[in-house]
Amino acid sequence: MTGAAAHVPPAPPPAAAARRHRHLLDFEGWTAEEVVSLLETADVMAQVLTRPVKRVPALQGYTVATLFFEESTRTRLSFERAARAQSADVISFAAGSSSLKKGESVRDTLRTIEQLQADLYVVRHPSAGVPHQIARWTDRAVVNAGDGRHAHPTQALLDAYTLRAALTEAGLPPQDRARPFAGRRLTIVGDIEHSRVARSNAELFTLLGGEVVLCGPAALLPRELGRLPGVHLTTDLDEAASGADALMALRIQRERLGPRRLTSLAEYVARYQLRERHLALAKPHAFVMHPGPLNRDVEVATELADGPRSLVERQVASGVPVRMAVLYALLVGRS
Amino acid sequence: MRLALRGGRLLDGAGDRGTHDLYVKDGVIEGLDLGGPVDVDVDAEGKLVTPAFLDLHVHLRDPGQEVKEDLASGLAAAAAGGYGTVVSMANTDPVVDDPGIVADLVARAARVEGARLRPAAAISRGLRGEELTDFAALKAAGAVMVTDDGVPVADSRLFRSACEYAAELGLVVQTHSEDPTLRDGGVMHEGAVSQRLGLPGNPDAAEAVMVFRDGEVARLTGARVHIAHVSSRRGLEVARWLKASGAPITVEVTPHHLTLTDESLCGFDPVYKVAPPLRTTDDVAALRAGLTDGSVDAIGTDHAPHTLAEKQQDMLTAPFGIANLEVAFPLLYTRLVLGGALPLERLLWLLQDGPARVMGWPAPRLEPGAPADVTVLDLGSERAVDGARFRTKAKHTPWQGEALRGWPVATVVAGRLVHRDEG
Repeated sequence: MTGAAAHVPPAPPPAAAARRHRHLLDFEGWTAEEVVSLLETADVMAQVLTRPVKRVPALQGYTVATLFFEESTRTRLSFERAARAQSADVISFAAGSSSLKKGESVRDTLRTIEQLQADLYVVRHPSAGVPHQIARWTDRAVVNAGDGRHAHPTQALLDAYTLRAALTEAGLPPQDRARPFAGRRLTIVGDIEHSRVARSNAELFTLLGGEVVLCGPAALLPRELGRLPGVHLTTDLDEAASGADALMALRIQRERLGPRRLTSLAEYVARYQLRERHLALAKPHAFVMHPGPLNRDVEVATELADGPRSLVERQVASGVPVRMAVLYALLVGRS
Repeated sequence: MRLALRGGRLLDGAGDRGTHDLYVKDGVIEGLDLGGPVDVDVDAEGKLVTPAFLDLHVHLRDPGQEVKEDLASGLAAAAAGGYGTVVSMANTDPVVDDPGIVADLVARAARVEGARLRPAAAISRGLRGEELTDFAALKAAGAVMVTDDGVPVADSRLFRSACEYAAELGLVVQTHSEDPTLRDGGVMHEGAVSQRLGLPGNPDAAEAVMVFRDGEVARLTGARVHIAHVSSRRGLEVARWLKASGAPITVEVTPHHLTLTDESLCGFDPVYKVAPPLRTTDDVAALRAGLTDGSVDAIGTDHAPHTLAEKQQDMLTAPFGIANLEVAFPLLYTRLVLGGALPLERLLWLLQDGPARVMGWPAPRLEPGAPADVTVLDLGSERAVDGARFRTKAKHTPWQGEALRGWPVATVVAGRLVHRDEG
């Protein structure tokens, strides 16, 4: 036993809202109230992380398994830190080191993992929908840690958590607890079509009362996404930046897109790199965000990424308390 | 061998023949109400007796992919679905691109209890779209159609040559009309649903573009080109325009494109992953309208079995295809005929006279001397779909548990009772 037991754990707010949910796959079926409750639990978890002993026994006896069928050190480490900070045991499965390369299916991999008696699976996969499929095949809780282009709900939660805190510190706290982003506008710039971060942020930010502007070259900006309530599309970055509360740049992966989908990187940078000029068009308090990893001076100018309005490092830091809240709500909050 | 189907209502493309005992002897229809001793008696009272269906589009996976399906399971499944004749596709392993493989299929199928097999052969060797196969030799071995189904023929010059040879030899060319570069890596219909789900989309334009090319090459060469599995409003409208302007094309639609939409993919279950993809309610409405306005010539199942393990892979990896031979008629009868969208006679036409006309075969009739390919349909009893009862090796089905009417209770092929379901 560590010294954690000696510390009285803070009482998280009752996560009654999250009790309805067995999994976090995307925000389908989640209410704003339930999400705000998660963000408030994350506030409490953030307190824990400021203590000398950054550990509470909240999930003692539980086992969290991270199943990463796609490489991602950052997200996996963040989830594992969130589990251990609550005294959960952690099992890590990474595709690179497994039989998956020998052609084993997800279903068969899961059959093996099930024998290890984990209580919750954190799943990342290059194909959309795998966390949903796993949720059908298991009676354990499932958290989507990124599935193809579909969703990355904990990234959206940590973005919301970060922005809500930054706005509050700037003297602009939410006027309505359940709609913290009412009257706020988030602009997301880049390869929208292939971005699960854009999809999850569009889903969550609008659920919490805000508006989302998606911006990028038309070839990477699916028109159908503009039909979602509260979501607007534009190919003009000046227009997208005007009046925004936050500007979020997405990583552009030219090597993956190839020359059939993207013009030269120079043209992309000229048209869509976030610069001081765009921050000047946004609201006076506007923030700069990026889900990482960052291509410096490609999708965002270094002076913005490292500047006073940047939330990039805070986004990373928010990952742990937000994921602590998610694990807690799904494992304990609903029991 | 003499067989009697007793007391059923006889219906074929020539009309309603009333309630009779139908006698079958030595592979052909003998006559009505003849009496006398028989070897096999089938009680068809209260049932519909009609020519066995023709399916110009099945994947039997034989040779080489017998883990998915083989001639025995596939032809038994066809018989259980009321089919008397099926045309098997050439995308097997090895590909049916050699006369020896065609001859082997024909010989082995003759020993199987089930529907009769009429194999298609490949247009290009290995379905690679680079070199033509030997059409005359393939036809002599028993091939009735040429197709690269599963893979669109990207090379338009090769496709034109294929049409020229096929026209000369009287072979039907069947096409999988999708522009492969516009389809790109799409795994479902491109639209609002695919964008929400983050799955790569396959736009309806990929189909419309290729239907147009295929129809224009048919007009240019005079070949009879059968457009397989048209799935979109746009694709069907292009086909309709081509037909009206004199292109010698015919059009097929499938049971799943007539009954399912892209919303089915919302649960990320690859059982609904099929090519071309399930599209929107508007596309389904257009295809249904096409059944009655003459733009659709035949319903083909595109029965495409895969193992459960393959269908339990992720959405990007799982193979395309739905196994549907055994539910096709009950599904369409229940949803379309009982749903008021289609007269029973028209549905039967699209499964009997329609496909026969596409192939240039005689219309199937319940007349003395005609081949004794007959199915008995129970239009009254309702039964839930249960994949576990399927004869196909693919027991997973999008319609599991759905209550349907119109189950085929007996099928006679060449005078032999090859399917009987006592319920």
